[in-house]
Amino acid sequence: MVTYDDSGNASAPTGSGRSGRVFSTRHKTIGLQYLWVSLASVFVGMVLSALLRMHASWPDSAIPFLGALETTPERFAAVRLLHGSLMVFFVLTAAPQLGFGNFLLPLQIGAEEMAFPSLNRLSLWLTVASLAGMTASFFRPLSEGIDLWLVSAAIFSLAALFSALNFCVTTITLRTSGMTLPRMPATVWAWFVNAILSMLIFSVLLAGCTAILSDRMLGSNLFSTAAFLAQQPANLVRQASLPVLWQRLFWYFAQAEVYVAMLPCFGIITHLVATFSRKPVWKERLVVLSICGVGVIGFCVWGYHMFATGMNPYAPLVFSVLASSLGVPATFLLASWLGTLWNARIQFTTSVLFAIGFISLFIAGGLSGIFLARHDLARAAVSQDFVIGHFHLVMGVAATFAILAGLFFWFPKLFGCRMNETLGKTHFWLTFTGVYFIFMPMHWMGLLTQSTLLPEAQRMALASAGKSIRTVVTVATIWTVGAQVLFAVNFFGSLVRPKTVEADNPWRASTLEWSIPSPAPEENFSGQAPVVYRGAYEFTEPSSDELAPQHLSPGLLAQKAR
Amino acid sequence: MPGTTSTPEIELIIERKNGGGGGKLPPGGGTGGGGDDGKKRPNRPNSPGRYYTGIAIGIISVLMFFMALASAFLVRKGGADWVPVHIPALLWVNTIVLLASSGTLELARKRLALSDVPGFRRFWLVTTVLGVIFLIGQVVAWRILVKQGIYLASNPASSFFYIFTGAHGVHLLGGVCALIFVARRNFDMAKITRTVAAEVTSYYWHFMDALWLFLLALMYLGK
Repeated sequence: MVTYDDSGNASAPTGSGRSGRVFSTRHKTIGLQYLWVSLASVFVGMVLSALLRMHASWPDSAIPFLGALETTPERFAAVRLLHGSLMVFFVLTAAPQLGFGNFLLPLQIGAEEMAFPSLNRLSLWLTVASLAGMTASFFRPLSEGIDLWLVSAAIFSLAALFSALNFCVTTITLRTSGMTLPRMPATVWAWFVNAILSMLIFSVLLAGCTAILSDRMLGSNLFSTAAFLAQQPANLVRQASLPVLWQRLFWYFAQAEVYVAMLPCFGIITHLVATFSRKPVWKERLVVLSICGVGVIGFCVWGYHMFATGMNPYAPLVFSVLASSLGVPATFLLASWLGTLWNARIQFTTSVLFAIGFISLFIAGGLSGIFLARHDLARAAVSQDFVIGHFHLVMGVAATFAILAGLFFWFPKLFGCRMNETLGKTHFWLTFTGVYFIFMPMHWMGLLTQSTLLPEAQRMALASAGKSIRTVVTVATIWTVGAQVLFAVNFFGSLVRPKTVEADNPWRASTLEWSIPSPAPEENFSGQAPVVYRGAYEFTEPSSDELAPQHLSPGLLAQKAR
Repeated sequence: MPGTTSTPEIELIIERKNGGGGGKLPPGGGTGGGGDDGKKRPNRPNSPGRYYTGIAIGIISVLMFFMALASAFLVRKGGADWVPVHIPALLWVNTIVLLASSGTLELARKRLALSDVPGFRRFWLVTTVLGVIFLIGQVVAWRILVKQGIYLASNPASSFFYIFTGAHGVHLLGGVCALIFVARRNFDMAKITRTVAAEVTSYYWHFMDALWLFLLALMYLGK
């Protein structure tokens, strides 16, 4: 009657379905594989962005490396599409949630494995297939490429759905003894809320992709109007479709996708700020509620991408109010981070620098979001450059900073050694100044060259001013991309030549992943599940100065203090 | 332990007695009276709770997929080019078949609860066959429409009809695979009991059933 697998508790490495190192079902291997996917994607994506900027500044010269491909406006659009797809899907979605999450979630809740390891492996390889598809679509002619891109996006949605299912179930059912909800680290909360959000929105993307693929390949009329098509010449029928409905479905996904990228970063930053301030998270419950709030409101604001498309005249106001109200949980989060840092003896490691950099970028980018959330302003005064500057600061670069902060912090847990701090800090300052020089002027560029409201003469004068700003942006882009060489040297150098064997808990952190050796061993907890006795961020006992990690019983702690 | 019923709790106790490796305390876990606020719960990587939670979350996700299509349907149906599809009468027969399959599935589970495995297998097989009949019936309904000259590409309403029935069919096919899997799997060595597997499958199957009723009502009333 009782048929539990006997080796279950030990989760022995002999277990089935753990074939080889590449096609492994181990959560740590899979997490690392996601991080490698992200690393490859981020470097390609960065080079593409530099090419885009160079082309914008010097449109007469051919785009380097891409001379072999045709130089048409469509090709430029394809470069942008590839840059965006790589960065959004395989860096911002993959790294903080799937990479760090897969590696660290079971460790932080005291589990041996994710709930469904084989499903986890499946979603990794679907992600890889999707990456291959999106990259290949770049090299195809545009209409064919779009079909391939849509298929890849659908595959990625499936992968994301499977992962999200795994994250939800793991967090709900596999927490170890004593790991009650209030004791969960902020990172776990963020991954959990994010997984719920992903469950909901990637289904919508999958539905949208299914429908539009059926339109494009099978000739159905889900988005396109037959009456409209009947008037078109036959060879144009494929392209002419009713885009608004597709836009709605797409933005329903895509606006929430922004928060899918950001939520795990909120978790990581909260975790790091507390750990390096050696203080409990200020108003921890409020942080958790804010993370949930971002998830809920983020789910409801898709409409504000449609201000320019047109909608029911009452709808923009609703979306505008909703989008503006995102500022409330965001402000709570900021207050908590600053409140935790306040009066703390902060250890200025590279990962703290990146965490503070994240906070700075989040404020700077978030402020311009207030203008974009206004339906009246968004339509009239703001152009594309302004939008690009806004979301790159608040989503792209800020999330990348959070990923880097996390990478410097968990590098010992991942690989057993630290990255070089001097190189890391140099890399930080170069990148930090670089991204501000790219995206702040881009806001001005957007305001200056916005032409619809200005008289003709003024517009021409401003356009020439815009040109010099554009050059500044391009130079700053090359500067920033160049600075990443330092990161590559640091990263691969640390991997190739580990300096010393690292202490198990180099940052004196209190969560469960640091209760085991670094790098994390094959079996997470050697078959003995830890018991959790306190919250994630109670760093020291009040009576003594002894570190109070989550897994140490009060009795043992008292013994140690004596 | 979220999501578990009383049966797994009993199994848990038996598992402990068998010395299945669960429930060992970490070193020092019991000293100094410290363990009082952490409830002792053996770390069971194979606890059935995950399957219940998993299917519940999976169902929400599938529901979201169909809601996205349904909302597109509602938006689209206002268009001038909307030509309603006359739902083939066969669909009503199919619906009754599907409803009956949910009934036999419950009968099968009742047999299993009474430890009547042959009876369980019989009803389970009937359910599977009814599911397959439903799928075949859907394909026949498509052929009827094609004979009438209504294709996927004919007009928006027909596109939505084919997409809804097709997407539901694919999801139901997954359910049929799950039914066959549960029937054929040797549960003596498996990580979960047959009872749990049958229950989880039944949730999905009933959900597919309800989803079909919803889609049918949408297409019938929304034409």
